[in-house]
Amino acid sequence: MRMKLGILSAGLAVLCLAVPIAAHHSWTAEYDAKKPVTVKGVVTKVEWTNPHTHFYIDSTDQSGKVTNWNFEMASTPALERSGWSRKTLPVGTQVTVSGFGGRSVLEKAIVTSFKGPDGKEFFVPKLGN
Amino acid sequence: MKRILIAAITVIGLTAPFLARPHAQDLPRRLGGENGPKKSAEAPTRPVPKLADGTADLSGVWTGGGDTPIPRLLKKGELDSLLLPWAKQKMASQKEADDPYFYCMPGGPLRITGGFAWRLIQHPTEHATHVFMLQEGNAHSFRQIFMDGRKHPEDPSPTWYGHSIGHWEGPTLVVDTIGLNDKFWLDSAGTPHTEKLHLVERYTRTDYNTLRRVVTIDDPGTFTKPFDVTYTAKLGTPDSEIIEYFCIENNQWGDRDKK
Repeated sequence: MRMKLGILSAGLAVLCLAVPIAAHHSWTAEYDAKKPVTVKGVVTKVEWTNPHTHFYIDSTDQSGKVTNWNFEMASTPALERSGWSRKTLPVGTQVTVSGFGGRSVLEKAIVTSFKGPDGKEFFVPKLGN
Repeated sequence: MKRILIAAITVIGLTAPFLARPHAQDLPRRLGGENGPKKSAEAPTRPVPKLADGTADLSGVWTGGGDTPIPRLLKKGELDSLLLPWAKQKMASQKEADDPYFYCMPGGPLRITGGFAWRLIQHPTEHATHVFMLQEGNAHSFRQIFMDGRKHPEDPSPTWYGHSIGHWEGPTLVVDTIGLNDKFWLDSAGTPHTEKLHLVERYTRTDYNTLRRVVTIDDPGTFTKPFDVTYTAKLGTPDSEIIEYFCIENNQWGDRDKK
């Protein structure tokens, strides 16, 4: 059941992203909707930049291996209009991020859901600009 | 339960392309907010403002009005019938990923009023000699339209936004542009053009919140005859501002295949 709900929410996430928008570029060319990912880890770098912002996150697996993920989000204007700032989830914050992995490099992923240390979910604007 | 889930997923799959984008209020527990500036909530019946010299006041922060791909603005198959053979071949051979816009190049006169917020300025506000369009996004660039009665230069060197001269026809701002280079795509579909491109744009504020833009696209190097496309821009709330956005700053598009 949990698995099915997972599939359903992945479907919903695809739905939200699949709507035609005037994106800087088409996210499907870069990211693979068949590679849903969820990463729990610590923010190591925030690139408050354009065309898109990037959140780098260190995630440690059970064997102790650390992987640094590069999660792409919308532009700074889109995030600022949605109430974000570069200090919303600063370096050192424990976060849980879901999204889709890159077609070529899995760890270069796009964000569809962002949760802070207390599980509070943040609004994720589409890659609209 | 399984059937319901399968049905739900199927419904989502079938309806996804037709649904409007979800609004912030559809996403509880989140900060919310619009991607672009908030849309004006004025009554559309509110009269379109006029400047002291009697011309329509088109100034403000607008969103949209140039981003819809041209094939979607025409009847099915119409663009195909307009394209010369080389242009049809070029369009078919291009990949979306090759769009110069993705590499932060200027989008040309159609796309400057695209998905990003943009501000129109009539300067000065009486007997304007210039109209400026400032684009928030992509190359963070602007267009200038000369309103002082000058003519086009004889043989302008081609540029990304070309040479634009404008005049008023009643409530409509008419902008004539030549001198465009062929380095940008007209739209995200990759509709090609040559340096022979000649655009005539007609901007009319059809109600308080709406700017209609009808563009006659004439390029004997690409199309069999001139044709019209119509775009619509929407006004932002009075407190809307354009925000700084330089695409060149951290564009990872070209490095998407590298670790």
